[in-house]
Amino acid sequence: MKKSFWSLCRKDCRMMASGKFFFVALGSFVLYTLFIRFGYLQFMDMEIYNVYLYDPAGTQTEVSSLVHPVASLKEMDALLVEDANGVGIDAGDGRPRVVLYTGSAKLDCHRADYALSLLHPGREYVPEIVGSDNLEMKNRKDITCELLFIEIVAVGFLGIASVLFKEKQMGVIRVHAILPVRKSLFIGSKVLLFLVTDLVFASLMTLCNVGLAEAGDILSAVLIQTAILSLIMALTGFICAMLLRDFKQFSLAYLVIALFVATPVFLSANTSVKMAWIHFHPFYHVYRSLKNAFFDRGVTSPVYYICVVWVIILLYGIAWTALAREMRKEG
Amino acid sequence: MQKRAGIIEVNNLTFSYGKDKQALHGLHFAVGEGEIFGFLGPNGSGKSTTQKILTGILKGYGGTVSLFGKELREIHTRDFLQKIGVLFEFPYLYANLSALDNLHYFASFYPKEQLRDAEKLLEELELKREFWKKPVSSYSKGMRQRVSMARVLISSPRLLFLDEPTSGLDPAGAVLFRRMIENERHRGTTVFVTTHNMMDADLLCDRVAFISGGSLVALDTPAKLKERNSDHAKESTLEDVFIKCTGRRLGE
Repeated sequence: MKKSFWSLCRKDCRMMASGKFFFVALGSFVLYTLFIRFGYLQFMDMEIYNVYLYDPAGTQTEVSSLVHPVASLKEMDALLVEDANGVGIDAGDGRPRVVLYTGSAKLDCHRADYALSLLHPGREYVPEIVGSDNLEMKNRKDITCELLFIEIVAVGFLGIASVLFKEKQMGVIRVHAILPVRKSLFIGSKVLLFLVTDLVFASLMTLCNVGLAEAGDILSAVLIQTAILSLIMALTGFICAMLLRDFKQFSLAYLVIALFVATPVFLSANTSVKMAWIHFHPFYHVYRSLKNAFFDRGVTSPVYYICVVWVIILLYGIAWTALAREMRKEG
Repeated sequence: MQKRAGIIEVNNLTFSYGKDKQALHGLHFAVGEGEIFGFLGPNGSGKSTTQKILTGILKGYGGTVSLFGKELREIHTRDFLQKIGVLFEFPYLYANLSALDNLHYFASFYPKEQLRDAEKLLEELELKREFWKKPVSSYSKGMRQRVSMARVLISSPRLLFLDEPTSGLDPAGAVLFRRMIENERHRGTTVFVTTHNMMDADLLCDRVAFISGGSLVALDTPAKLKERNSDHAKESTLEDVFIKCTGRRLGE
């Protein structure tokens, strides 16, 4: 059995290599790392809105250095036309008056409060910081977790399907029906390879983007959650590839999953938008667990792990049945 | 020809795909050890269903199917699959791997002592040596069919199932394949051939069975079938027998 399993693994590895899967995974890692280092962190450091102040008499004495002074109301209007998210303050008569292009009511209030707060920077409220992460580390962990989730959900899922669709197209899955090899090994070899790839990817992402010192504390918890997500996605990809006719149908299915399954999870977990039903969404819990792992708050609830094990067993059962069905098809 | 014990024994075999689609209606036949048995019929007649049952792919059949003297339902699948070889109509191979890599991969699932030499097989099947290490995607259909045949033979099966074995081959290739099949028979292998090719059936098979609408309509040696169908004016061909028995033309 061992010999058969390694033979299947070797062959799957060659299939993944010939499909440029490892190249794509490495490319994704490099791109994500460059984005985090030279894009996201710089972007998060920027001012949220530009604030323009018209104050010809200099009535505002404690103005923050983030405020851009303008010489006339005409100049301020011209700047706001080009920068519709910017906020203008007209202090021509000594009393600050906010000028802005309207968006949503809540956001407008936030923009106005932010702009006015820059006129009195000394009176800023200093919040108590909870947790040991500084802002940069928090941003690094946030984005690394999000990109890792996207990578496993998207690339791992598509990767296993592309290997299987190739095998389906070549007809070799049907040949395995008459080979003395267990179906479980056929499924297992693919799932194992994608799991190992995802674990290596998660390790590199964590080490390079969170840093060696921090990664040491969180890596084991991150790898456990990555393994759970990887197994679920690989088995789901396997099932979809077996049940759907071609890669076109699969791509449509993937769009549905991406739009209607992943979007509410991201919205609920990363923003203040909360949907009443989101706690019934299995990916919400997996995503939250991955995020908690990055912030050194690993999931300890046995209910979560029992549910995960059941889901994986169920998906494996469906994958086995779908494979048997594919093998029975006309040769 | 004196035949030894039946390698395949099928009694009252029935199978249906759902309630309304009865595919097989009580087939009876037996294939002796070392026999080349032809199984012929129009498209949709139940040939593939029968072969899938015999190779253990389809379960849930009615009646009894005995292979190597044991009821198929009771044979441990892995042991059984080690004894059989199946050639599909289309050459299913890993296109990104070479002929040798394909053969080594498929051979890895069988016990070592059962395996034949991959290079020797490719030589016997007259696949040009310069292609052995090239990806199968660069091969013609005939070359792929040769590699597929090597895949089947590499595990020295005791029972061969061949589906349209000469399809996609040029006349020289077809002659070579028929010779290879004959050689296998001399090694004691039993061969179950499913084909539309009446020349293959006539030249190769010891006996042929015609199936139509899920029932066997004729079973005998090609010579006897032709003789029974002949009249004084014209000698019959196996194709005439096929059309008479099934009421359909070849390939329908």
